[in-house]
Amino acid sequence: MPDVKRVYETTFIVNASLDDHQIDTVIDKVKDLITKNGGEIREFVKWGRKRFAYPIKKKNNGFYVVIEFSAPGDVIAKLERHYFLDESILRYLSLVLDKRALAARTTAALLAAEQPAAEVKPEEAPKAAALEGAVVQNPAGAPA
Amino acid sequence: MAYTRNSTSRPGSDRRGSSQRGSSGQIRKKRTCRFCDNKEDYVDYKAEKKLQRFVSEQGRIIPKRITGTCAKHQRMLVTAIKRARHLALLPFVSDAVK
Repeated sequence: MPDVKRVYETTFIVNASLDDHQIDTVIDKVKDLITKNGGEIREFVKWGRKRFAYPIKKKNNGFYVVIEFSAPGDVIAKLERHYFLDESILRYLSLVLDKRALAARTTAALLAAEQPAAEVKPEEAPKAAALEGAVVQNPAGAPA
Repeated sequence: MAYTRNSTSRPGSDRRGSSQRGSSGQIRKKRTCRFCDNKEDYVDYKAEKKLQRFVSEQGRIIPKRITGTCAKHQRMLVTAIKRARHLALLPFVSDAVK
C-alpha cells in the first residue's frame, strides 16, 4: 500500500506577525515532513502576506503557502497532526487532486506557457523565467 | 402546503416569466454557464476574485438560477467557495452585515 502515491495539495496559513526567517523555518519543517515520509514536492508557492476576510485568532493577516506534492496517503495524517500542533499555523487545507483537477492544472500551465512566450520580449524572458524559478521549485512537474 | 409554496415562490416566478416571455416587451438573452463557455472543468478555491462574482454582497452564494451556472459547475463552485471561506479568502458574512 505505501507504494500508492497520490497527488495532494496543501495550503496553510502561517502567523504573519513572525519574522520572515521564522516563517521560513515553519515552512521548511512542513516541507521536510513531506519529503522525509516519501513525498515529493511538485510545486511550492509562497503567496505571501494576505489580509483575511475575517479575523482568525484575533489576527487580520496571514502568510499563505501552497504546496503540491505526491505522496503515500499516510503523510496527510502526519501533516495534519503537525499543523494542529504547530501554533504558528493558523489554518490549513489538504486536498487530493483528482484527475479533473490535474487536467485543469496542466491546461492552465500550458496556456500560461504559451501566452508569455508569444507576448514577452526576448530580453525579458530570462527575467520572467528566473522569477518563476524562485517560486515554482519543480516546473518539470507540469509538462511544458 | 402546495398553496403556500406557490404563493411564496410567486414573486420569483413572476419575475422570471415576464423576462422570458417578454410581457414587458423585453427579451432577455439566455444566460449560459460561464464555466461551460470557457470549457473549465475545475473550479479552483484559490481564485478568490473569480469566486467573488458568484457571491452576494453579504457573502452568500448566489443561486444558479440567477447566475445561470449549470448544475455540475454550481456544485464545484459551492465546494470551492466553502474552501475559500475556510482559508479566510472569502467571508462567511461580510463586514457590512455584521
